[in-house]
Amino acid sequence: MTMPIDPDLMRDPDQNKRRDLTIAAAAIVVCVVLPFVFPNRYLIGQGVTLFLWVAVVSQWNLVFGVGGIFSLAQLAIFAVGGYSAAMLALYLNVSLWFGMFLGGLVATGFSLIVGLACLRLSGAYVALLTLALATALQVLIITDTTCFMRQGVTCMTFTGGSRGLSRFGDFGFTAMLGRANAPLGNYFLAFAVALAAMLFAYLVIYSPIGLAFRAIRDNKLYSIGRGISSVRFQLLIFGASAFFTGMAGAVFAGHYRAIGANILDTSLLLFLLSMMVIGGLGRFWGPLAGTTALLLFDEAMKELGEWRLAGLGAILLLSVIFMPNGIVGLFRSRPAAR
Amino acid sequence: MDTFIQIVISGLVLGSMYSVSAIGLTLLWGALNVLNMAHGAFLVAGGYAAYYFGGYLGLPAYVAIPGALATGVVLGLLVYAGVARPLRKNANFETTVIIATVGVALVIENLVQKGFGAYPLKQPLSLQGGFNIAQTFVPWNSVLVCVVSIVLLVLLDFVVRKTRYGRMIRAVAQNYEAARLMGIRTGAVYRFVFAISGLMAAISGIMLSTATTLSPTMGYDPMLKAFIVCVIAGLGEVRGALIAAFALGVLEATVQFQLGVRFALPLLLLLVVVTLIFRPQGLLRKNEASRL
Repeated sequence: MTMPIDPDLMRDPDQNKRRDLTIAAAAIVVCVVLPFVFPNRYLIGQGVTLFLWVAVVSQWNLVFGVGGIFSLAQLAIFAVGGYSAAMLALYLNVSLWFGMFLGGLVATGFSLIVGLACLRLSGAYVALLTLALATALQVLIITDTTCFMRQGVTCMTFTGGSRGLSRFGDFGFTAMLGRANAPLGNYFLAFAVALAAMLFAYLVIYSPIGLAFRAIRDNKLYSIGRGISSVRFQLLIFGASAFFTGMAGAVFAGHYRAIGANILDTSLLLFLLSMMVIGGLGRFWGPLAGTTALLLFDEAMKELGEWRLAGLGAILLLSVIFMPNGIVGLFRSRPAAR
Repeated sequence: MDTFIQIVISGLVLGSMYSVSAIGLTLLWGALNVLNMAHGAFLVAGGYAAYYFGGYLGLPAYVAIPGALATGVVLGLLVYAGVARPLRKNANFETTVIIATVGVALVIENLVQKGFGAYPLKQPLSLQGGFNIAQTFVPWNSVLVCVVSIVLLVLLDFVVRKTRYGRMIRAVAQNYEAARLMGIRTGAVYRFVFAISGLMAAISGIMLSTATTLSPTMGYDPMLKAFIVCVIAGLGEVRGALIAAFALGVLEATVQFQLGVRFALPLLLLLVVVTLIFRPQGLLRKNEASRL
């Protein structure tokens, strides 16, 4: 990356600044205005979920879609961020506001280790390795029964075990905004994290770094031949994609005032994977489109709760076969470059 | 001495369960580069089909079991026709097929849950009784499971190594284009491998449900174990998978007895992580080129 690069070569044909700005402005206005127009607790809660998953999926998309690395560790990174913030608050009385950033940092460290472990692997092997790590993490948390400290008569384990961690407080919005407006605090905090994550993803995707990621994804040998260090960039992508994911984990913990090993369930992992795939892998707007679409789908399936998984599976299957570029891919005139 | 015998026996039973489901998985990967995430769902379907034919319709075992095996074969063929064939020309076949088969798994598991309920059921087709070795009770059913799996694996190894079909499979595994140019009908080979994989999954589903109970999510754990076996042996190794399955079965039983149940799965997963980092081609493979 010492050679100057012709700016024309670097320009991504997908990038359309005016279009992106218009969509972003519209989406931001909708998100800001909506909770005031419909001040409904349920809607605001769903908004928090939407923002948190957008944050996670947009970062996962950097690894999976842009980098082409089939990592399934994203929820483990999310959990590491959330658990770190919760434990710091519970054991060391660190405020969640500060813990949020620390959680992001711990998650980044964890993700770098995962990235190191995956360095020599590709394709399905990465999927198996990261799935093994996530599963092991969940099993170790659930089966944790060693006493760490006593809370009255009950015994607390270090990780909270199968019951999860709670009683570590929240972001304190009740004191700041009053009981009635407290959910709005969480709403806008999650919104801010999602916005920061999206902005970060935008900068990465359309920067020379993003170009290098795509070059490695599309032709590893050739890009190495052109002087791109695949080791450096793979570690960079794992590290970079983890910070906001970990932060989202901390916001999750603060919003629900609890965090448990169930966030490492395979079903949730598959739900988020579906969001990413259905939205459009490697596309900037993919995570937002996919997350919104699947949360709406989930809402619609509330009536038919027992068919939810089959519906999800069918959508995933059909979209891989008939819509390989996702929802975002439908709005393109040019055939995909992948 | 008692503990030792107990460990060996439960290790062998675990190993034979793992080996049959691992073989179905590893064959698909070795021959076609397909990592079938619906494998666990195939196990579930096989087990429930045996329950449906044998328990619900009350058919005798010699009709119910072939019926369940046929269900596995049909599922394998359906996934070939519906997923693998349309996606085969896709540039990212290896990863898209993983995502697509995840979708298949969700659909199958949900259908089974709707059809039979989420509660565990008892598999009617299992052998009763058993015998004692040095005060350790060995159920006949475990002996049967063990024998069936070893016979099956030896048979499959023979098919892959010595027969015309086996040669075709190995040719496709080594070089798809070249095999096609030599006049091998690759579509037929794909169908054959998918059918065998479905068959193996159904068999291991039936065996598993006779040892434990039927439940719509019973496939996940054996699939995970099958992944572990495949990675440790080297994905695509048939003979290696057999050895690795039994070795891991005994290892798991030992860890469970000596260190506690809690550490068995994390230890196996740690083994996977270490293997993938230091020897991604697997412990039992000599070199990168010799798939199958």
